[in-house]
Amino acid sequence: MSIEAIIIYSIAIILLIISFFADKKKTLKGLKKGSKSFIKLMPVLLPLFLFIGILLAIVTPSFISTLLGEESGFLGIVLGLSIGSITFMPPFVAYPLGVELLENGGAYPQVAGFLVTVMSVGLVYYAVESKFFNKKAAIYRNLISFIGAIIVILIVMVVY
Amino acid sequence: MKTKIKNNKFLAISILLLIIISFIDIALTYKALENATQQIISMLIIVPPIFLMIGLFDVWIPRETIIKLMGENSGIKGMVLAFFLGGFSAGPTVAAFPIAMIMIKKGAKYSNVLFFLMVWSSLKLPILFYQITTIGLNLSVIINTVMIFVFILGALIAEKLFTKEEKALFETKAENYN
Repeated sequence: MSIEAIIIYSIAIILLIISFFADKKKTLKGLKKGSKSFIKLMPVLLPLFLFIGILLAIVTPSFISTLLGEESGFLGIVLGLSIGSITFMPPFVAYPLGVELLENGGAYPQVAGFLVTVMSVGLVYYAVESKFFNKKAAIYRNLISFIGAIIVILIVMVVY
Repeated sequence: MKTKIKNNKFLAISILLLIIISFIDIALTYKALENATQQIISMLIIVPPIFLMIGLFDVWIPRETIIKLMGENSGIKGMVLAFFLGGFSAGPTVAAFPIAMIMIKKGAKYSNVLFFLMVWSSLKLPILFYQITTIGLNLSVIINTVMIFVFILGALIAEKLFTKEEKALFETKAENYN
């Protein structure tokens, strides 16, 4: 288990114990509500993660680094942004991958754009997000993050 | 059948992709399934305590409290709170959507909830140190500062961009979710 998981479990269990001693009935009701929304989300999450698993089998680190090389230029930036926007990776995978890409000859702006979008732009979530909010909200959130990525690229180009 | 496929878009595309890559290279199929299992397991580990807390939050925190802390007139306080809630997070962004829903249900302002979601997706404070040790201090500083400003601006603009009707729709959806 990662440190992340240990922390979140500790907090959840402590809260659960406190809640249980304060009010058993309320706690049970909360548990029921929590598990209900968890079960509700599962049919959405499972196929999504299957899809991401397949995507990451095709879009491997070596594949990405061939696309984002020093010579890749503007096209490399566009590709970095696109791959990052489509795929999703937890930070513990994304950051080491970023380092690997740089070591394999990836250029800084391309990799930076990839790193920002892979975390913040989630096009695979678009369908779920539009269901929770609406299409406009889903597009808006992704667009804002995408603009952020472009600004990061511009600054990185100046700095590096 | 048609609506079934439409509702299970990712499942349909995934199965189609699996079939195609099996013809190209069966090793790729195994790798894909292995990846998927790994992703699903790590998700199943991190997500249950989040939902446990969502449930407890729902029964314990009164609507008035959230309205005061993150509602229409919460100002900077609401944004700061949204920042820390999003920043001290774990798990994929998709796990944050139900949390966003319960926040709206309890009366949090949409722009604060949006800010929370955006911070959750890419400004994770517990792994700041890890970020710096992997991609370096310079890149971390550039990414984090730019994104904070962009997210703040994005949230403020959203306040004007989304109509009262749209925000009311989010509230109805949140009401029906839990």
